[in-house]
Amino acid sequence: MTHGFARSLIVGAFLVVTPLVSSAQVRIVQTNSGGDNIHLIDPATHKIVGEIKGVPINHGAAAAPDGTHLYFSSEAERVLAVVDVKSLAVTKKVPLTGRPNNISISRDGKRVYVGIVSEPGAVDVIDTASLERVKSIPTKGGIHNVYVTPDGRFIVAGSIAGRNMMVIDAKTDEPVWSLFNEGVRPIAFETNPDGSTKRLFVQLSELHGFAVVDFAQRKEVARVVLPDDVPAEQRDKGPFNASPSHGLGVAPNGRTLWVTSRPNGKAYIYSLPDLKLMGSVDVGKRPDWVTFTPDSKYIYVATEPSDSVTVIDVASMKEVTRITVGDGPKRNITAVLK
Amino acid sequence: MLRFLSGLVVVLVFAVVTAPAGRTAQSEELPDGPGKKILLASCTSCHELTEVTKLRGYYTKDDWRDVIVTMVKYGATLNDKESDVLVDYLAANLGKKE
Repeated sequence: MTHGFARSLIVGAFLVVTPLVSSAQVRIVQTNSGGDNIHLIDPATHKIVGEIKGVPINHGAAAAPDGTHLYFSSEAERVLAVVDVKSLAVTKKVPLTGRPNNISISRDGKRVYVGIVSEPGAVDVIDTASLERVKSIPTKGGIHNVYVTPDGRFIVAGSIAGRNMMVIDAKTDEPVWSLFNEGVRPIAFETNPDGSTKRLFVQLSELHGFAVVDFAQRKEVARVVLPDDVPAEQRDKGPFNASPSHGLGVAPNGRTLWVTSRPNGKAYIYSLPDLKLMGSVDVGKRPDWVTFTPDSKYIYVATEPSDSVTVIDVASMKEVTRITVGDGPKRNITAVLK
Repeated sequence: MLRFLSGLVVVLVFAVVTAPAGRTAQSEELPDGPGKKILLASCTSCHELTEVTKLRGYYTKDDWRDVIVTMVKYGATLNDKESDVLVDYLAANLGKKE
């Protein structure tokens, strides 16, 4: 019997006693980069309440705004998997033009954008009504992460190979501007009171920290390096996939920015908008992506080597619990499902 | 029922205890050869070996070439000949069986 099978038994035990998604419910959607399953966590109990199977080497996740479907990219099968939320079954696999990385969805839910990391790179556009690829937006280099800005007006695509971040008009699918001459990793968004994009916090290859981009000025205005506050003998030496800091997020209330450090095994908390370091919390070995509950009460931090997710109380900056998930958890999102 | 539960506990403990050893043993599971030397020299400076072995059985030779092209673009120091040897090795040992 394998470790994975034993873990499935544990997860299965939760599923037996816990109903699947019924009405509108908040769920933490945790992908497992080394497996073929995705876990749904109920933030009210911090327990796994659902499991989606059949998406091998899953990478990115997105949720339909109406809560009826989830979408996942599969690096192994080079498809976008479409999941019906009621049954948690994969209902279709949409072929892509190459090996996918991360994905994002338009505000109206009509389009899923898939970053294609295979050269020469592209953003594949999937129509969620026909479930067909309707376009591939050319990019300069393979795309690792793709985002839709919170106001829905722009698509932001980051390339490691192409060493750039491209901002694309979501109405025309045409590039508007680009930035950086470094590999671009995860990005978090800060908004203005009207919902438009104010600043981007951008993680870059080999940077133990993040760059700050003023969206209106279209330029980098600051660079923040995470503290060197862990003794050398306790610091993880890697490897870190050339990305010592690979996960960050702005709390939904807009008050804090949380940034993870792989070598230090911590999440660092910065106040917004002034970016003052407020503190840190130990989250486990090699933390990765983060996602918040909509009320900004909890943050979920994926820790890949331990196959778990660490739950932190945002206000107190204290650990609440750790949840065992699948093989190699990395990317995660928060979704309201129906 | 009690027998089933006690058996389950034994199995779970065994699985948890042996899991880390399973991961670290992956290098030893791969057959020797020039491709393995390139794999260990060029890939594991940035990645755990599991980032490669997790794709076992999924990729054709063309798919593996696609991965290596991406990694060279990312900065992996491989010349054309080394890339060819590595692609052949990955396809032969971790490739999709057709």
